[in-house]
Order: sequence, then structure tokens, then C-alpha cells
Amino acid sequence: MRLELGKIFIKDVQFGESTKVENGTLYVNKQELIDIAMEDDRIINATIELARSGESVRIAPVKDVIEPRVKVEGEGNIFPGVISKVKTVGSGRTHALVGANIVTAGKIVGFQEGIIDMSGPGAEYTPFSKTYNVCVVVEPKEGIETHAYEEAARLAGLKIGAYVGNAGKDVEPDEVVVYETKPLLEQVAQYPNLPKVGYIHMLQSQGLLHDTYYYGVDAKEIVPTFMYPTEIMDGAIVSGNCVAPCDKVTTFHHLNNPVIEDLYKRHGKDLNFIGVILTNENVFLADKERSSDMVGKFVEFLGLDGVLITEEGYGNPDTDLMMNCKKATKAGAKVVLITDEFPGRDGKSQSLADATHEASALVSCGNGNIIVELPPMKKVIGTLDYVETMIGGYEGSLRPDGSIEAEIQIIIASTIANGYNKLTARNY
Amino acid sequence: MNKTIITNNKLVYEKLNEKIETQFLSKYSYIEILEHVRDMIHEGNKLLTHPLSGSLKPNETPFKSIVVSKKKEDLDLEGLSIIEDSIASAQKFISGKPTPQYNERILNDFRLIDLSLLENAVNRMVCL
Repeated sequence: MRLELGKIFIKDVQFGESTKVENGTLYVNKQELIDIAMEDDRIINATIELARSGESVRIAPVKDVIEPRVKVEGEGNIFPGVISKVKTVGSGRTHALVGANIVTAGKIVGFQEGIIDMSGPGAEYTPFSKTYNVCVVVEPKEGIETHAYEEAARLAGLKIGAYVGNAGKDVEPDEVVVYETKPLLEQVAQYPNLPKVGYIHMLQSQGLLHDTYYYGVDAKEIVPTFMYPTEIMDGAIVSGNCVAPCDKVTTFHHLNNPVIEDLYKRHGKDLNFIGVILTNENVFLADKERSSDMVGKFVEFLGLDGVLITEEGYGNPDTDLMMNCKKATKAGAKVVLITDEFPGRDGKSQSLADATHEASALVSCGNGNIIVELPPMKKVIGTLDYVETMIGGYEGSLRPDGSIEAEIQIIIASTIANGYNKLTARNY
Repeated sequence: MNKTIITNNKLVYEKLNEKIETQFLSKYSYIEILEHVRDMIHEGNKLLTHPLSGSLKPNETPFKSIVVSKKKEDLDLEGLSIIEDSIASAQKFISGKPTPQYNERILNDFRLIDLSLLENAVNRMVCL
């Protein structure tokens, strides 16, 4: 499977009469985007606001972040099985508006998703402070159930992402990157002397506000499967997880998975990137046993020499992480884990809720318990009403002047457990 | 049904007790539910669901529901290790920063999330 990803670099976002890209500026027609959000009768109000890198703006509570993309050539469309017909994606050509994002915000439950600061110290912890964001703030119909509202907000973000992405269809990209993974036997034969490396991608799948979708299928219903890495770049995976800001894998992070990106950079140089084993993180121990057995089976069947494993969430998924580590090792692969840590504010406690002897190599994405001071911002998109009940916030977190003291858990993607951040921890 | 739910969440009791016998321990804290389940495992019950919940840290939600087997068998060593690690993890979080005193509306949202984490699994009636 071969995908050309055309990157159109966006350097500003403005409201305009039509939604288009011109000389690196994304223009969006406000009303068109509102109309798309309001197509869903579970949403009674939608507002669109812009947030640019460096501005004194705080966005909260954030649900999801979506990079606008469009299929230019090849089968299927962006977000197949969710907002477009089910069709295998990941081949042909796709254009991405790199530097622009759709950010969905709005209240879903009483404890809430996190914060994006566009400037100041908090901006250092999130990649979305460096981008030009079209914020979609939605309000639900009275009395609607939480899961129905979550779905409506999620779909609004994805539809607007695809609509805005369409503006890049006929634009000549600034850069085209080609990614290719061949069918297994050909891929192995292409670089016979390089170690065969795979990526075990664990999807959060435990329940309400803890879900992820693969071609529209709720990941808790899947058994582990094989995915060509380029499928993810066309939106085969979308996020429905919205309760833990710091290690949330947004839809943006699925489209731009850094493990896949880095494995491709070294593909054919010092390793042979065979592909992705997708698995889930379920509640029942029997499900964990079944899924990790199948992950081990894939590692053996594909003849992998090495694997990287990422998880989403803390606690329960740590057990899946360790079971996958153990069984991938037993199947003959060397294993490196990538995750964030929660060892307490002093960093002295156990980082993860589970462990195994085989887990001997781990890349840390930082400690989510560290305290951060966020100065007030001139403008708030959404609301700060929920700061003290957000994950990472506490009583007294929000001060009268609008400044915030909280754990860095409160910032979207600050310790994201796939490495799309700048934090780490090292042994000396 | 050879399963029983141990919970301090009244919503779980109300919604699932008809399907699966549910021990509703309304006065128990999050940690006390974990400790109660640990004691049951020592008595031969098998741990069926993971004691920690998804993205929520143990000091963020006061509610906890866990499924164990009714039938007493040989000691479930793996389950014992998971519940002990979970208790250690929960104590670490709660001693660092106690669970906040939420208002009733927020408590209801946490009850709902806790229910949903179990309901999905219970409805599918996984073969064990």
C-alpha cells in the first residue's frame, strides 16, 4: 500500500466568504461550518472562533482535535465508516492542511476535558498552541444523554474537518511525502538483512467517553487485527475518548502518529517496518487475555524481530500493556514500551499500575502529576466553569483573575503516551 | 450466572442487579471496595474485571465496580497480584491528592461512567 501525503503548510487562519486556501492562509466561512454542526438535531447551538498560535487565548473544555485532510486520488474518503462510506483507505494521494486544526469544545459531563493555551507557559505542553485552530463550540439539546451528545460533538468535528480539508483538494502541496508498505512477503524480501519491526497500537476501548473507532467499529468489539500504517493517515481510526486530557490520543494524533512517522523515516535504512497490529484495552480480564494472546500470535506469525507498543490511558490499560509486552517477547520480539507516567508529584512512586519482568525497555513521555501555573489569558473560547473538576484540576485551581494552578494532566496531550510531546524522564 | 458485582455505585446496582447479582456497599470508599475484593480473592473468588478504570485516576472518581466469580476455586494468583497493584496505585493517588467532594450532578456523571465501563462488558456476556 502506497500513499502520497501532500502537505499544505498553513500559516494563518481567517474568516472569509468562502472556505479556501490561498498563499498559506486558510479562510473559513463561519456560517457554512455552523450549518454543518447544526445538521445534527442533538446540537442546539454552535459557534465558530479562531485561535492563532501566540495569541492570548485559552480553549476549554476541549474534546477532540482534527487535522483537515482530503482524498485526492485512491479509494475511499477521509474517516471511512464514520462520515464516509466504508472502503479501505491508505493508498493513492491525500492532502493535509498542516498547521490548521479543527478543535471541538463544549461541556459533556461535569468533570471535563482539558485546556489548550495558545501562548504562555501552558503553550509549551501542547502541540496545538503552535497551530491555527478553528474552534467549534457546541451546545447540546436539553435532556440529551451523555453518550448521544458525545457522538454528536465527535461527528460535528469530523465533518467539519473533512469539509475544511476539501479546500486543499486542488492546492499544490508545499511538500509531498511518500509512505509505502508492501504485502508481507514482498516487504520482508525488500530488505532481507534489516530487522523486521512492527508497531502494536493499543486503542482505548473501555466504555462511555473511553472509546476509539476503527472504520466505524467500536474498538472494544474488535479482535486484534493487522493494519497497513498508511490507513491511519486517511482517518481509519478516530478518537471518541474524552476524559483524560494529558494522555488523550486525539484524532489529530491518530492521523499524525509519531511512532508510524518515525518508523517510516528509518524504513529501509536500519529497519524494515512491517506494519501495525491494532488491539484494544477492555475491562474484562478475559478480553485482555484473548486480545494479548492474539497480539502475540501476530508477532510470531509476522516474524517480527522487534516491536514498539503504545497505550492510551492509565491503570487498567497498563495491564494490557504488560500482557502484550510479555507475549510479544515470548513470540520472539524485542519490545520497547512507550508511555507516560504517574509517579506522584515527587516522582517517587510506581509509574504504572502493573509491571512484568519482560518490560525492560521503556520510553517515558513525562510525569502527568507535575504542577503548572497558567497565567490568565485575554480571551477564553468555551468556558472555564469546569476547571476545578477537570482531570488535573482541584479546588482552588481557578483563581479570580483567571489564572490556573493545576497538574499538567489538565493540558491536552501534555504527556501523550505515543511520544507526540516534548516531555520525558531519564535514568542517570 | 456465575458472577457477582461488588460496587459502591447505586446506579450499577439499579441497572445491573437483575442481570447479575450485585453487592451494593453504599458506605464503602473506592479503596474499601478494592480491599473487599482482595479479601474475596483470598477466599477463592476469581477476579474477572480490571479494578482500575480507564482514563480516570483512582483519586478522580469515588465509584468503583468490580466483577468477581461467585464460585470459589483455587487462589487466583494473577488476580491477587492485579488487585494488590491496584490498591497500591490507588493509595498513591489518594494520599497525594484526595478525591474531591463533588456536587451531586458531578457524582451522577461519575456514576454513569462507572456503569458504562461495566455495562458494555456485561451486556456482551463474554465467555470466561
